[in-house]
Amino acid sequence: MIQFATTRQTFVLFPIGKKRFALPAEQVSELAHQDEPQAFPHTTPLLTGVVLRRNQIVPVADVAPLLAGPDAPGRKFYLVMNRPGKMRPSRTAIPVTGECELVDAEWLPVTGKLPLYVCGLLSLQDEIVEVLDIEKLMSAEVSS
Amino acid sequence: MKISKAEPRKAQARAREMVILFVVGGVTFAIAANAVDEIRELADIQVLPSAIPHQKLTKVRHTLRRQGRRYFVVDAGAHFQMLSTQPTRLMVMRHSPAAVIVDAIDRMQEIQSIQALPEAFSGEERRWYRGLTLIKGKVIPVVHAEAFLTKAETTLLNAAMRSGEIAAKMAVTA
Repeated sequence: MIQFATTRQTFVLFPIGKKRFALPAEQVSELAHQDEPQAFPHTTPLLTGVVLRRNQIVPVADVAPLLAGPDAPGRKFYLVMNRPGKMRPSRTAIPVTGECELVDAEWLPVTGKLPLYVCGLLSLQDEIVEVLDIEKLMSAEVSS
Repeated sequence: MKISKAEPRKAQARAREMVILFVVGGVTFAIAANAVDEIRELADIQVLPSAIPHQKLTKVRHTLRRQGRRYFVVDAGAHFQMLSTQPTRLMVMRHSPAAVIVDAIDRMQEIQSIQALPEAFSGEERRWYRGLTLIKGKVIPVVHAEAFLTKAETTLLNAAMRSGEIAAKMAVTA
C-alpha cells in the first residue's frame, strides 16, 4: 500500500545498473548476499526461482531487466521485501546489483511521464531517484 | 533498514506423508505415493490414432491399455512446459485415467510438511502444485496428481477417441 506523507521518510536506495531506485524502508525486511535461486517450472513473469531465508521459502523476482533493460549487470545482493498478500503477508526477494543505502528524504509526487510503477520521487543532492511501487512493478500488465 | 524476525510458520501444514520423487528435465518433483498405482517402463504405450485438436491437450500423444482400462498418457515435460526431457518411465495414476511420462523415478520419501506456494506465484503453477516441501535444503514442488489430466480434459479426450473410432469404422465399411 502506497501512502504519501508530507514529512520525511526513510527509504532504501538500491542500484540496478547505473541507476538507483528507492523503496520505503518499512517494506524492506533484510539485505542478503545472493544465493543461487532454486528453480522449478512456473509461468509467472519475473520470478526466477526461490531462495531459503530462515527456513522460509522466498520467491525471487528479478526486476532488473524491466528497470535497466536486458544488459543489466550481475546481481550481487537480495533485498527481501515484505508484501501484503491476499491471504497473509509474504516476502519476495529482489536481486540488486550493488550495495544499498538508507536515506531520509521527502517523498515527492510524480511529475511528468513516468512508468506506472513509479509512485514518487526523491530529490537527493545530485540525483532524482524514483520510488517504486513493487505491487505495480510485479503486476501482470507491467511485467508481461 | 529493519531486521525482520523470522515469521511463524503458519503456512506450513503438518503433512507427514509418503511421496514419490520423480525427475523431469532435471527438476525433481514429489507426488503423493497413494496417487500412483504403478510405475512401469514405456513399453505398451500406443500412439493416438490422430492428434487431438486442442492446444492444451498436445501433452497427450499416447494411450495405454492396462487391466481392461484405457489411460491417457500425459507427457510431464509438456505439462510443465519444459523444453528438454528424456522420458524413460511411466507413472500410472490411481484415481484418474492418466499415466504420466517422466524422465526418472528417484525414490520414495516421507515428508514432514508442505508449505503453501508463495502468493507471488500466480500462473499455471497454482494448478500444478499443492505446495512446496523441503528435503535436505532443496525446495521440491509437490504436484497435484489431478492436474495432469482434469475431468474436462478427460471428457474431451474420450470424445475425440470416440469420434476417431467412428471415423475409422466408417472408413473400413466404405
